[in-house]
Amino acid sequence: MLEYLRFSLRNLSHHKLRSFLTLLGVIIGIMAVVSMISIGSGMKASLKEQLEQLGSDKVFILPRIAYGTAAATLTDGDAEAIGRVPGVAFVSPLYSVAGDVTYRNERRIVKIYGVDPEKAEATFGAGASGYRLLKGRWLQRGDRYKAVIGYGVHSDVFSRDVNVGNTILIHGVEFQVVGVFKKTGDREKDYTIYANLDVIREIFGVGDRVTLIIARAERGADIEEVRLRIERLLEDRKGSDENFFVMTQKEILERVGEAYRVVQVVFGGLAAVSLIVGAIGIANTMVMNVTERTREIGVLKATGASNAQVMKIFIADAALLGVAGGLAGVLLGVLISMGINAAAAHYLGEGVLTTTVTPALAAFALAFSLIIGVVAGIYPAYRAVKLDPVEALRA
Amino acid sequence: MVIRLEEVVKVYRLGRVEVRALSGISLEIPRGEYVSIMGPSGSGKSTLMNLIGALDRPTSGRVYIDGVDISGLNDDQLALLRRKKVGFVFQQFNLIGKLTALENVALPMWFAGIPRAARMRRAKELLELVGLGERLHHKPAELSGGERQRVAIARALANDPEIILADEPTGNLDTSSGMAVIELLEELNRLGKTLVVVTHDLDFGRRARMRVKLRDGMVREVER
Ligand SMILES: Nc1ncnc2c1ncn2[C@@H]1O[C@H](COP(=O)(O)OP(=O)(O)O)[C@@H](O)[C@H]1O
Ligand SMILES: [Mg+2]
Repeated sequence: MLEYLRFSLRNLSHHKLRSFLTLLGVIIGIMAVVSMISIGSGMKASLKEQLEQLGSDKVFILPRIAYGTAAATLTDGDAEAIGRVPGVAFVSPLYSVAGDVTYRNERRIVKIYGVDPEKAEATFGAGASGYRLLKGRWLQRGDRYKAVIGYGVHSDVFSRDVNVGNTILIHGVEFQVVGVFKKTGDREKDYTIYANLDVIREIFGVGDRVTLIIARAERGADIEEVRLRIERLLEDRKGSDENFFVMTQKEILERVGEAYRVVQVVFGGLAAVSLIVGAIGIANTMVMNVTERTREIGVLKATGASNAQVMKIFIADAALLGVAGGLAGVLLGVLISMGINAAAAHYLGEGVLTTTVTPALAAFALAFSLIIGVVAGIYPAYRAVKLDPVEALRA
Repeated sequence: MVIRLEEVVKVYRLGRVEVRALSGISLEIPRGEYVSIMGPSGSGKSTLMNLIGALDRPTSGRVYIDGVDISGLNDDQLALLRRKKVGFVFQQFNLIGKLTALENVALPMWFAGIPRAARMRRAKELLELVGLGERLHHKPAELSGGERQRVAIARALANDPEIILADEPTGNLDTSSGMAVIELLEELNRLGKTLVVVTHDLDFGRRARMRVKLRDGMVREVER
């Protein structure tokens, strides 16, 4: 087999430009497959990690965002009612809003989480959810105009660092920074300001509304059972649970998985189309190749090549074309993956999304392109085999 | 007899038109003979060579090569016969342009399954034998016509065949390199190969011990 590849290598290098053009389809297809799989698994891994940080004993309750309908609302009353559901240890209501924040006369739009300082500690506090304090302290009972800030707010949002002891204006109201979180790698967490739920709601005038309720199940409670009870409770209180998501971490992961599968189908279809185009390209070039090399085929046969040997020569040619395309595709896929990692590190924060082209993925892609080459080569090789040696030599 | 033809007819079909290239040829060529085949263009010389070389099957009649009737053989049996028994030398040289002289000569041995090192060694010896020991790694385009034909002769010898078939081997060469090629072929004949040469050149043709003259696909005369 090595001998056939050696022979084919000569043909490939003989027609470099044409080989390259032929291979564009395969290159793009393999590139799409490789980058899709690496991005997909990277996304899945990072989302999984984030959700795992939140813990598997929590139920998340949030309004469904529906365009064209009045947004459903959750209130403190709902949170309290959920807190009384059997199996729920406690609830942590949260109000999130993007608000204008001023520091040393610089005004920025920053995400603000209004949290209940006492209850929030177990959900957002030290140790949980990947939050660790860099400086200062977490919110305490009775803290009203105090704030804890994410690492991004501390170091990146304003031209000067915001530190413990500094004063910021949220919607024109003064807050004293009492704590700074370490970098979590999660942009959402790192670029958020955490302050007292009631105070934030007062400032933004939203009454007793909350945007997210996190209910933590009692130790040993059946989380799915707790979730169903919460769902039934909301149905009773609101008349319908249609407007709310009541999800455990597992379900969120499943939803992410579904979204990811859609992405996969789309990308996969794209890849399939370009690979089919690539295979047709190879087959086309190989047919041309057989026509151009008619005389050579006559010589091969005159010097004793059997049909099987002629077949192998041309299949090897096509296979090599396929693998060359696959190799280029894998390399481009690796570059894309590296580019995405660099962009993600820059825009989303270090470690948020890490895509990798594993050796197994690369090997799979190469094997796949080899198969494409071989399949595309069968018909042209068959034509070479069928050539009459006398006719071929007269060409 | 290394080659025997009995009432061989070869008809080419081009759509509805039939071309009768050979119409009833009987011929016997003893082992180790030196044969020239002459005749006007279109008289069937190349067709005859293709049959003797197991490159094609007769439409009717029988062609025996070393006792084997080729008319009943399948493609692979014919390929095997060519590989073992026949070495072709063509007017157009028919070397493979992207391969070096050495690789061209080694090609038939590849098909015969000889390991790479062994066939490269023998290819080198054969090129030295035809006086091209200094041109091993040249591509055909880098060689003169006479040199190319000598590479082709070395290739024809690769699997040490019984029969060397040369179809107008000097047709594309000047007189002196043509002469050198003929002398090289004759040297092989002296070493025991059965040599059949198609030629237009009367002087070359006369050198053969057995001279076959064709006309209109028939043997007009055999001189010994
Ligand atoms: N493959 C072929 N298909 C059709 N006609 C052919 C083929 N080969 C040879 N012929 C015809 O058969 C006749 C003999 O040809 P050929 O054996 O090549 O003659 P020569 O070699 O003596 O010039 C010519 O008329 C030629 O046109
Ligand atoms: Mg001829």
